[in-house]
Amino acid sequence: MNELEQTGLAAMRDCWITGGPTFDLAPAAWKEIAGTASPDERERRLLAIAAQALDIGLRPAVPKVLKRRPPLPALALPMLPERLRPLLRAALKQAADARRKVRVVTLVASRGFVLHPMDWMPAASDQNSPDVYAPWIDWQAGLEGQVHAPREKLTAENWDDFYPAARRIALADMRRIEPAAARMLIETKGSSEPAEVRLALIELMRFGLTLEDAPFLKSLSTDRSGKVRELAGRLLARLGEHGQLGDGGADDPVAELAAFISEGKSGFIRRRTTYTPAKLKSPAQEQRRAELFETCNLVDLAARFGATEPEFIGAWQFGADNNADILIARMVAASGSDAAVTHMADTLVADGGKPALFVLHLMPRLDSRRKRTLIRLILKDWKYLGALNLAEGIEASWLEWDDLTNGQVLPALRSVIGATDDAMRRGLDDILETMGFLTTTATAARLIDEVVAAGMPPAAPSLALLRLNAALAEHPSGTDT
Amino acid sequence: MEFDLKTIEALAPDQASLSAASKLTKRSNWPRLERNEQQALIWGECQGSGSNPYRVVVDTGDHGYKCTCPSRKFPCKHTLALMWIAATAPASFAPAQSTPEWVNDWLGRRRKTTPQTAGPVLPGAAAKSIDDALQPDEAAVVEDAAAVERREAAQRKRAQETRSAVSAALDELDQWIADQLRLGLSGFVDASSERCRRIAARLVDLKATALAGRIDEIPSRLMALRSEERPDAAIRELGKLVLLAKAWRSEPDDPELKRLVSTSETREQILANPEARQVESHWEVLGEKIETRRDGLVSHSTWLLDLNSVTPQFALLLDYFPASAGRRSNAFAPGDRFNARLVFYPSRTPLRALVAERIGDVSSGAAWPDFGALKDPLAARASQQDGAPWLTDSPLILPPGAISLDDRGTAWWQAADDPHGIALPIAGAVDQTLLGIDLAAAAALWNGARLDLLAAQSRFGRLDLS
Repeated sequence: MNELEQTGLAAMRDCWITGGPTFDLAPAAWKEIAGTASPDERERRLLAIAAQALDIGLRPAVPKVLKRRPPLPALALPMLPERLRPLLRAALKQAADARRKVRVVTLVASRGFVLHPMDWMPAASDQNSPDVYAPWIDWQAGLEGQVHAPREKLTAENWDDFYPAARRIALADMRRIEPAAARMLIETKGSSEPAEVRLALIELMRFGLTLEDAPFLKSLSTDRSGKVRELAGRLLARLGEHGQLGDGGADDPVAELAAFISEGKSGFIRRRTTYTPAKLKSPAQEQRRAELFETCNLVDLAARFGATEPEFIGAWQFGADNNADILIARMVAASGSDAAVTHMADTLVADGGKPALFVLHLMPRLDSRRKRTLIRLILKDWKYLGALNLAEGIEASWLEWDDLTNGQVLPALRSVIGATDDAMRRGLDDILETMGFLTTTATAARLIDEVVAAGMPPAAPSLALLRLNAALAEHPSGTDT
Repeated sequence: MEFDLKTIEALAPDQASLSAASKLTKRSNWPRLERNEQQALIWGECQGSGSNPYRVVVDTGDHGYKCTCPSRKFPCKHTLALMWIAATAPASFAPAQSTPEWVNDWLGRRRKTTPQTAGPVLPGAAAKSIDDALQPDEAAVVEDAAAVERREAAQRKRAQETRSAVSAALDELDQWIADQLRLGLSGFVDASSERCRRIAARLVDLKATALAGRIDEIPSRLMALRSEERPDAAIRELGKLVLLAKAWRSEPDDPELKRLVSTSETREQILANPEARQVESHWEVLGEKIETRRDGLVSHSTWLLDLNSVTPQFALLLDYFPASAGRRSNAFAPGDRFNARLVFYPSRTPLRALVAERIGDVSSGAAWPDFGALKDPLAARASQQDGAPWLTDSPLILPPGAISLDDRGTAWWQAADDPHGIALPIAGAVDQTLLGIDLAAAAALWNGARLDLLAAQSRFGRLDLS
């Protein structure tokens, strides 16, 4: 289309928008085509020409600014094979929330694969998905420029070359190997970061925490952020450092909390000290007690009773008050020393029964062996199977067939298959989903056979993660991508 | 197999369904018949009257079933035919170790019920009989010459009446378009919904049904654009109608123009047409578009790419069914590849097609063929419009490019090696992840104003974008 035609078309367009004949405005060549027909027919002919001119002769005007995102970085693991993607999508669809979706992602990563970015992407704030996704988390956070994933060690000099998720992973790794060097970096670079980032950095101190970290953590007592001060206090408490030894007066929160706990004795021959939650008289008291458990540290509370942390935990009367048990378990998880955590876990797991479920609150601080022991214990009693879904921080793909046959899980599953009660069906779906995450490939395949033989439709959505788990066996890492 | 003819007879809703099912028991109607004995399932794909095959699955244990056809009879003739084949020719079913995704989908959603048995025959209800269904159709009885002559004369008369009516319809359309230009396109854009509905209703009365359906969709196509783009879009839409009307007047018997203005040929007519182009090739399902139209029909478009062609060649499987029939399962999954012989509806730029013969599946996942340098991504559009300027949508294969956002948040496809050259705006919102993925190639529909992405190839493999 030449310039005259473009000018003519623009004029005709404006005329048609308001209404009226355009013949006089048309380019000469177009007038010739419109010919000597009736006025209406001339307008229609010109309209047909204009339509084609707009369609073919003109191209959309490219905006002055078109903003591109940096390329999505490649990850360190191969992509899940194409033919497994339908199974993966079914498993993701079945996973009801972000936490469960991350379990699917973690299972796949444990088998050496990452997901297709159009199937799942971590959120910018994600801190739970496998480390391999750090470059995508940084990409999601909207950081401009080519995402840099340096292969060299993190130092103060190259600190800014790492984006937050990659830096967090590098620091966590460093804390496990060279805790002092990592602490130095956090100390040096952290102070110039905003409070939110500072908090995330201090949180990494939990890896490889030792008494050598105490001076730095104590120095944070003057930090600008209340959250940072609180976190540093908890980490110090884990090292046995008292932070809140007050005067025992009315304003002393530890003393106030201690008032909610009754000290007693039990046993006829060997008199043992016991700590029992006091009976509460009102919801307001209940709320206040919860606040105190949240703000006080275990080491201070134990000291208030003149006991060490393990002694205090050992003397706590689990089972007397469920809410208080949950609160003490959370307190141990947040501020208890490693010795207190393992003591509580070992004692409750050895005793078994419902109190063992309180160990679920300690999961983030337990080692792999203890986590597995707890899961195996839960599987032994069908009454507690539902608690499996509360377990955080457990590893994928280790549960063997013997672990299932040793307990009551298989008979329990068989008995609820075909149940018409919605709550029972949901419970069954949850357990099968968790099994899909925990089991080894062989166990997943065998469990599918087992529940199908018991009457579950082979393609039931609740088997989605088990099916993916079983299918991942055929695809060892690095092949068929 | 746990079927006998008595069971099928009892399950059939009426004698007509049984008779229709008996005609579908020919093996040639079923490109795929499979069974999984462990799960007591049989399934198949039946080439029905639509462009897309119907997918049928039956639980041989409890006689539960599902068919993707829009029939309101339960079970439908396709389900009955599948059961019938299972009862009479069980060897037709190939054993399958696993069940396809669509079967799994159905199994996952269904709730097992007690085995279906025939209900008591109600007094007055017509009895059903397999034997009667196998009797030759009375209509197929050979007619005498005089009857044939009478029938053909009646057909000619009806065709003449239709042509006269359509001609009158196009006269009214011409006048209506002239009125819109006189009154102003600004007003037309604002009131397009009522104005288009009125002329569409008039066109339906005058047997220009296909054209009426197209005009009914103009308002939604306009509203999908920014307000400043709508007048240009209205010029394009109305101008193309003028061209189509003129083309029809010059060649009223042209099959493509008849299809676009009044009614389409039947599947049987297309298959029997020796001039219809046939292509046997490997096809990839690029994507599907399922849209509820204003006239109450749902249009179901399945776009295919010819994987053996050296230039981008597409096929469109197009079906319509009433929206009241409810949501219909998809016949294909995006990314599926299969070997099939397609028959194209005669056209200047053959696109709409039927699956005449499904030969088998092809492994999916590989990249598309290298179509060579595609310098101008809209060249195919220009070529299509040269032959058939009344068409609205053109399938395209776009060269390497990427998706960017303008300052108003609209997504644009832009060629990779020409950042200052052509860029095409994309319809609707795009997945934000796509903004970080370079597209080695993309398949899309271009309607003159917006790109509708179907699929793409990238270093992350195939991306399903439909």
